[in-house]
Amino acid sequence: MSIPLWAPILIPVFFGILTYTLPEKIKKIVAIVGAGTTLVVCVMIFAQTTSGPMSLSLGGWDPPVGIMLFADRISSVLITLTSLLFFSLTIFEFGKKHSKRTFYMLFLILNGLLNGLFLVDDLFSIFVLIEVSTIVVALLIMYKRDSRSMYDGLIYLLVNIFSATFFLFGLAMLYKQTGTFSLSLLGDIITQDMPALYLPFAFIMTSVCLKAALMPLFSWLPRAHGTPSSPSVVSAILSGLYVKSGIYLFLRCQNAFSAIDTQTFFLIAGIITAIIGFVFAIAQSDIKMILSYGTVSQLGLIMIALNTGSETAMWGGVYHIINHAIFKSMLFVGAGEIIAEYKTRNIYEMKGVFKRMPLISAAMIAAILGITGAPLFNGSISKYLISQGSNDLVGDIMLTLINLGTIVLFIKLSRIFAGNTGVKARVPANRAAVCVFLGATCLVLGIFGAPIIEFLFGIQVKIDTAGYIQKSIIFAASVVGAWLIYRFAVRDRAFWKRVRAFDLGFNKIAMSIVLFFVVFTAYLYFG
Amino acid sequence: MNIGEIGAIIIFFVGVYGVIARRNITKTVISIGIMQAAVILFFVATGGAGSTSAPIGAGSTSAPIGAGTDAADAIPQALMITAIVIGIAVTAVALTMFIYLYHKYGTTNWEKARKMREDE
Repeated sequence: MSIPLWAPILIPVFFGILTYTLPEKIKKIVAIVGAGTTLVVCVMIFAQTTSGPMSLSLGGWDPPVGIMLFADRISSVLITLTSLLFFSLTIFEFGKKHSKRTFYMLFLILNGLLNGLFLVDDLFSIFVLIEVSTIVVALLIMYKRDSRSMYDGLIYLLVNIFSATFFLFGLAMLYKQTGTFSLSLLGDIITQDMPALYLPFAFIMTSVCLKAALMPLFSWLPRAHGTPSSPSVVSAILSGLYVKSGIYLFLRCQNAFSAIDTQTFFLIAGIITAIIGFVFAIAQSDIKMILSYGTVSQLGLIMIALNTGSETAMWGGVYHIINHAIFKSMLFVGAGEIIAEYKTRNIYEMKGVFKRMPLISAAMIAAILGITGAPLFNGSISKYLISQGSNDLVGDIMLTLINLGTIVLFIKLSRIFAGNTGVKARVPANRAAVCVFLGATCLVLGIFGAPIIEFLFGIQVKIDTAGYIQKSIIFAASVVGAWLIYRFAVRDRAFWKRVRAFDLGFNKIAMSIVLFFVVFTAYLYFG
Repeated sequence: MNIGEIGAIIIFFVGVYGVIARRNITKTVISIGIMQAAVILFFVATGGAGSTSAPIGAGSTSAPIGAGTDAADAIPQALMITAIVIGIAVTAVALTMFIYLYHKYGTTNWEKARKMREDE
C-alpha cells in the first residue's frame, strides 16, 4: 500500500484537533495514538523513498502553478526523526497534569507543521508554514503565562514575523524574475550566476538564517528555548527539532541557488556562531540557558559542515542534525526533571543529582558524552565526518577549538552530578523509559554509525580506524585541556558577568537583522 | 519596474525604519503591518501592470497564463489573499500578547519592559 505524502502533515493535525474535543482522561491516550500513527506513516514513507524520491502535486496542478510535496532520503529521514521525537515526548508527558486543554492540540499540530516544512517544495507554502508554526510556538512558549515568558514570547513572535516579512518580500521579487516558487524548478532555472537574483536571495536567506540562528541573528533563540514557563518537552522540541527546519531550509535554498556561490560567507558565519555560542553558554548559570546557548554553538558546527564544500562533511552535518536532535532533547527533558525536583534553575544550587536521580543522570551523561564527541557515542561519528571534509590544518584546529569549548561547557554542567545529598527521587516508569531510550540511542547511533548512515541515506562513508583512534586521543587531550581551562580561566567572575549581562532589546535585534541583510547583499554584489 | 513596485519598496523600508527606531510596542506591530502591506502591493503590481484586466469573470479567458490574454497574472493575487489572512491572524496574536504584557508591566515601551523582566 502506498502512503500519500499529505498523510504525515494532516494526521497529527487531525488528532490534535480531536484531543481538544475530548475529556482529560481519554485525550492523553488519543494524543499518544495520534503521534504513534504519524510515526508509522513516516516510517512507511521512508521505506517508499528508499527506492527513489516521491512527489505529489496537490489538487492535480503541477508546478509552476500548483504546489508540490516532495520527499527524498533526507526529508523522509527528517520527518521520521520528527515524529519519533514527538511520539516519545508525548509518552513522556503522559503522567503530567495540564491546566489547559490546548496543550496536546498545539503540540500535535506543531508535529504536522514541522513535517510539512520538511516535505513541501513550494516557497510560498513554506512561508505559510513558517508563519503558522511561529504562532503555535509562541503560544507554547508562554504556556504557563508567567510574566517573564510574556516578554520572551512577544519578542519571539515579533522578531520572527519581521523576518518572515523579509522572506515574503524576497519571494515577490523572485516571482517577478523567475515566475515560479517551486524549489526544484528554481534549481533548473538558475543555471548561472544571475545578479538580478541577488536581492531576492538576500531577502530569503536573511529570514532562513534567522530560523537557523546564525550569528548575529541568534539572540531570540535562548530566550525562546530557555524561558522559565515553557514545559521541558516544548524546549526539547524547539531546540532539538524546530531549529533544524531552519537548517533544512538553508540546505534546500542553497541547493536551488547553487549557482550563486556563498559558501565562504556561511563558513565564516558558522565558525563565529559556534565560538560565540559556547562563550555565551559558559557564562550562564541557568541550566536551560546553558543548554540553549549550547544549541547555538552546535548549529554553528552544522553550518560549517554544510559549507566546507566536501560531500563527506555535508553528510556528517546531516548526521549531526539527527544526533543533536536526540541528545539535546534528552538534555532538556532531563533538565526539566531536575528543575522540578530541586525547584531551582541555578546549577550552583544543584548538588548530588546522580545520587538522587540515578537513571535520569545516567541518560544525561550519555547525552553529554554524545554532544562532546566522546568515542563510541554518536557525536564522535558526525564530528569525525565533518573533520574528514575540512582536511587541512586550519580546519582541524578550528573544529578542535569548538569541541574544546563544548567540553568546557559540559564540564561546568556536570558539576551538578557530584555530591551526596537528599533521598532518592521517584521517576514514573514512562519517563524513565523515554530517558533510557534516548540515552541508549546516543550509544547505538555511535557504535553502528557507518551502517546506520548507509541504511538511512544510502551512501557509504568510510570510518578509518586509525583516524578514529587519533580523534579519540585528541578528544582525551581536549578533556584534560578543558578541565584545566575550566579550573583556571572560568574563575574570572567579572568578565563572565559582563558576558552574561549582554542582552539585546527588540530594536537591537531588528537592527541586527537589517545589518545582516545589508552585509550579505553587499557580499553578493561586491564579494 | 513600474510605479507600484517602486512605491512598494519605499513603503517596505518605511516599515523597517519603524521597527528599528520606535520603542513603542504598538508602533512595532503597526510597522510590521506596513511592511506586509508593502509586500502585498509589490505582488499585485508585479502581476498586473499597465492596462490588464482582473483575472476573473467576463474578459478573462481560460487560456494558460501569459498566452496572449490581457488578464493579469492570477497567481500573485491568489497568494495575496492567503498573505492578507495570515497577516491579520499574526497581528491579532501579537496584539493579544501585548495586552497581557501591558496588564503585567503597565508599559508600552520595549526598554522598560526589558528592565522589568530582568528585575523579576
